[in-house]
Amino acid sequence: MVKVIYVAKDGTRTEVKAQVGDTVMQTALDNDVAGIVGECGGSMMCATCHCYVDDAWTDAAGPRKDGEDDMLDCAADEVKETSRLSCQIQLTPELNGLVVHLPEDQV
Amino acid sequence: MPLAPVNDHVTMDQLTRDPYPIYRRMRAETPVVRVSSVKRTFLTKAAFTKYVKDTPEIFSSNDPNTPMKPAFRAHTLMRKDGAEHRRERMAMQMAYTPKVIKQDWADLYRGIVDDYLDRLPRGETVDMFTEICGPVSAAILTHILGLEGATTEQMQRWSQNLIDGAGNFGWKPEPFAVSDKANDEMDAHFASLEDRHLAEPNNSAFSIMLNAKDPIPKSQIYANLKIAIGGGINEPRDAMATILFGLLTNPEQLEEVKRQEAWGAAFEEGIRWVAPIQASSRLVLEDVQIGGFDIPRGDTVMTIQASSNRDEDLFENGEDYVVFRDKNVHQAFGSGPHHCAGAHIARRTVGEIMIPALFERFPNMSLPDPDAVKWRGFGFRGPINMPITLN
Ligand code: FES
Repeated sequence: MVKVIYVAKDGTRTEVKAQVGDTVMQTALDNDVAGIVGECGGSMMCATCHCYVDDAWTDAAGPRKDGEDDMLDCAADEVKETSRLSCQIQLTPELNGLVVHLPEDQV
Repeated sequence: MPLAPVNDHVTMDQLTRDPYPIYRRMRAETPVVRVSSVKRTFLTKAAFTKYVKDTPEIFSSNDPNTPMKPAFRAHTLMRKDGAEHRRERMAMQMAYTPKVIKQDWADLYRGIVDDYLDRLPRGETVDMFTEICGPVSAAILTHILGLEGATTEQMQRWSQNLIDGAGNFGWKPEPFAVSDKANDEMDAHFASLEDRHLAEPNNSAFSIMLNAKDPIPKSQIYANLKIAIGGGINEPRDAMATILFGLLTNPEQLEEVKRQEAWGAAFEEGIRWVAPIQASSRLVLEDVQIGGFDIPRGDTVMTIQASSNRDEDLFENGEDYVVFRDKNVHQAFGSGPHHCAGAHIARRTVGEIMIPALFERFPNMSLPDPDAVKWRGFGFRGPINMPITLN
């Protein structure tokens, strides 16, 4: 088990326990974390799972996957350097304690 | 495991008139069932339909042998899988992003809606389905795609001809003759616009596809535009009409929606309640089990998202239009790689622009006789009239 912390736009922090191998998107859905929709089920086709990886975690989370850039352009909110599609971040033991920030809008 | 049970009494006609009581019963008694009249295995629970759509390795969209191919004169991305599908889809996706809508089009769309509303008489009962829902959806799509010059009548006719051809599972010649004619007209119109889009690149789907660094073949650009015409008019039209019905038959909810400006929630609930696209087919590539039944390779399953959207496991009072739900994880836009490419556009145009504009202009409009509204459709569903009194 690893820990993931979701920080909503208004600053609310939600800390959840997650399974290694699950994605940051699926973990949010399984734990009813508001602010991640994940409507395409992780197929990288909807951009409703947009998140900003906390500056301290960007290296550990790794670079964007193939095709992720294009789909991020379809996100509802501003895309920054740290923007990722949370369905493309798979949890590893190294990501224990990962902090991601949520955008205001997903749709 | 056993094969799924067979239902040989439900008819296509019953499913077209009112499938919801049938689905409710199926969810309770036979959630996986082979329906003889449709020759498909119906899946009516949310968990099953989501699993199928999210697992394209087993449940393929790739089926070149459907009437869609002659109807569109192309093997379109709707019926492809994997990298090929992604490439063709991403070629036009940039035209359908929230940012493009906000920056380039929102004002134009508001203008179009106002224009149509200006033409309506006050104090009379008008069929909003034919006067507003259809033409406004068509007019907006014309701009999104970059097909200026096509009339809303043409766009709506082309769309219907393509849909009728693609649904021609009896392989009769007449619907294909009609769709052939529509294809000729569309091809000619597209060709007439190419030079302008190349000379003046813009954010329409046609222009984006033509001006891409590594463009997809011309034949697929045309096929994509036709898919967007076939799939981008009736759905917003039907969603709009359904939401109007939901709000006008639930006045307390309407008041609350106006007070909170909860138009987005009203939109989501409308498409949950009666999903414009009710069912989809997938070809089964390997033997698999669903819900305790063997589904053999070669079978075709039908995900009934219309039913998933009322699944008792996820929704309380799912048969009713209830805007203010805690959670509304419907599957009206599907899931998986074929998740609706127009989802962001539909949310912005129908939910944020069209519906609020109607209530702003006619705050006291009413539906004097809800029973006069007729609903139709199995694969696609919505009202086919909406007699509203405007004042
Ligand atoms: S869940 Fe759809 S892009 Fe991530």
